[in-house]
Amino acid sequence: MFLDTLSLTRIPPDDEALRMPVRAFLEEALVGVPTEVRARSWSGFDADFSRRLGERGWIGLTLPIEHGGGGRSVFARFVLVEELLRAGAPVAAHWIADRQSAPQILRFGTIEQARRFVPGVCRGEIFFCIGMSEPNSGSDLASVRTRATRTASGWRLDGQKIWTTNAHRTHFMLALARTSGDASSRHAGLSQFIVDLTLPGITIRPIADLNGEADFCEVFFDGVELGAEALLGEEGDGWKQVTSELAYERSGPERIYASLILLDEWLAWLRALDRPSESSLALAGRILAVMSVLRSLSIAVTAQLDAGASPLVESALVKDLGTTLEQFIPEAIADALGEDPDTPLPESLGRTLRHVAQIAPAFSLRGGTREVLRGMIARGLGLR
Amino acid sequence: MQDELAAAFDSWLAAVCPPAVVRAIDAGGSSATLWREIESSGYLDALVPEAQGGAGLKLAAVRPLVQACGTHAVPVPFVETMVARAELARAGHERADGPLALAGLDDATLPAAARATWIAATTSALIAGAAERVLELASTYAQQRVQFGRPIGSFQAVQHRLAVMAEQTCTARMAAQLAFAVPAPRPDRTLAAIAKCVAGEAAAIVAAGGHAVHGAIGITAAYDLQLCTRRLLAWRTEGGSPTYWAREVGTAWWRSGETRALDFALARLADAQG
Repeated sequence: MFLDTLSLTRIPPDDEALRMPVRAFLEEALVGVPTEVRARSWSGFDADFSRRLGERGWIGLTLPIEHGGGGRSVFARFVLVEELLRAGAPVAAHWIADRQSAPQILRFGTIEQARRFVPGVCRGEIFFCIGMSEPNSGSDLASVRTRATRTASGWRLDGQKIWTTNAHRTHFMLALARTSGDASSRHAGLSQFIVDLTLPGITIRPIADLNGEADFCEVFFDGVELGAEALLGEEGDGWKQVTSELAYERSGPERIYASLILLDEWLAWLRALDRPSESSLALAGRILAVMSVLRSLSIAVTAQLDAGASPLVESALVKDLGTTLEQFIPEAIADALGEDPDTPLPESLGRTLRHVAQIAPAFSLRGGTREVLRGMIARGLGLR
Repeated sequence: MQDELAAAFDSWLAAVCPPAVVRAIDAGGSSATLWREIESSGYLDALVPEAQGGAGLKLAAVRPLVQACGTHAVPVPFVETMVARAELARAGHERADGPLALAGLDDATLPAAARATWIAATTSALIAGAAERVLELASTYAQQRVQFGRPIGSFQAVQHRLAVMAEQTCTARMAAQLAFAVPAPRPDRTLAAIAKCVAGEAAAIVAAGGHAVHGAIGITAAYDLQLCTRRLLAWRTEGGSPTYWAREVGTAWWRSGETRALDFALARLADAQG
């Protein structure tokens, strides 16, 4: 039967044991951080915090010890990530390198590339961004036009990326570029490059978002000279590599908990009442029920990763369910609070709600849109 | 071993309870033959302790059996009788023959709250099983039915509807696993409430999706889809609707004294074993 491999799995006790030390560290490290800042969840950027986490050994937790990683299981990482999200820790600086870029480099790169980048990632000193989307290549990623041309000493990069989260605050981009053929060649002729963002010919322009912040950027490459060692993996294997990268990107608990800080703030508000209304209790119960089941599904996907599988369809399925919950939470909480418009809200709850509600449409866009994911699930059902 | 048991049970059910038998009993025909098969199979004593002549299976081990009853739309109270026999044995009563209803047991044997918990847990697993069957029927049909010169499953609108059905089927299946995951002889109240809240919502989405994909043929008595979709809608509210069980989970949160969502979930899920 379809996807009957998603079995209820318990996090092993050794990995679960990581929870309390992480929680204690975060309580101390984040003291005094206001709720609406924590509510930015994994979008919050703080390089100092990332370095402190790196000192603890909590970046690259699953990566090999010889490369500076923690040598722990994916279940340990699940616990760590769950606690980071519960606290609303500002993890964005190291998030992409930890989750995607460093594992990609270890999987497809040379030993020199692993030595050059992975230990620094694990120390919280080297930050990466993802160079996939372009102005005319969004969901249709295979149509990218940024081109890398061979030169005597390596490659020359020309083109443009967009919606690159934190390009202006990170050190390197793992960029997908065309090395042969043209946009009509589709999946063939693409390659991945590690691009040093300080090189001449690179222009980075942050783009203001609807919350008045600027996390994502336009990045222009104008004759950027790259060394031969910038190529990650085999020339022409870019599509295969990027597909495996997306499995890391989609499978984690960050696709369930983006609205968790808001939810907790609302639950605290209910707790402060004598007795919440029946409809609020039902709403809280519904959210907690869905969250509990989705968490179990996410752990089931983690168990597949642990077994060495590449659960692409399963990840897509859990991400679509997870982002649906993440988007339901601000909408439903706004509705519940609006049932009683004459009771003034605590200011921090109002600000947190506004922030999460406004950014929530992005939850089902970033990391693959809802429509793309449903297409992948349909393929898993044998329909495509 | 658990997988083997589930597979054996599933093939046995497919043989003794095919759609033709379900349809005949649903239409008011006699269930005597089917019931004789069930009674003589021994499966009804799955949860009865070995010392009392049963199979002494754990709760988690019977979940696939309950799910299979949903997949095959079993039209007799197999699951309720299996649970009732376990509760009677637990209370030291003699075994009763024939179909049993949990509502027929006295309060000393099965208190009302425990009865409600059993219904929530078992209907969650029945929903998961029936949802699997509806998803299977609909995705097969979408690949066979041709309109506008191509299988309707090649249209994105149909694909996305089926993707949502697959998501909800997986959700219901995980919910059912949670409801049956405790080592105790009875399901846990809050885990069963979580399961029924979520599986009940899934039931409506999967049933509606199954009909949307099938079009008019799915409405007919002759086509198998209705055997499962009518049951999905009935199980959705049997023993309490999704909102009823959502309020139960919310009340459990309120009483727990926990404020933070993850802490509540971790405490509830701590007893659940795969």
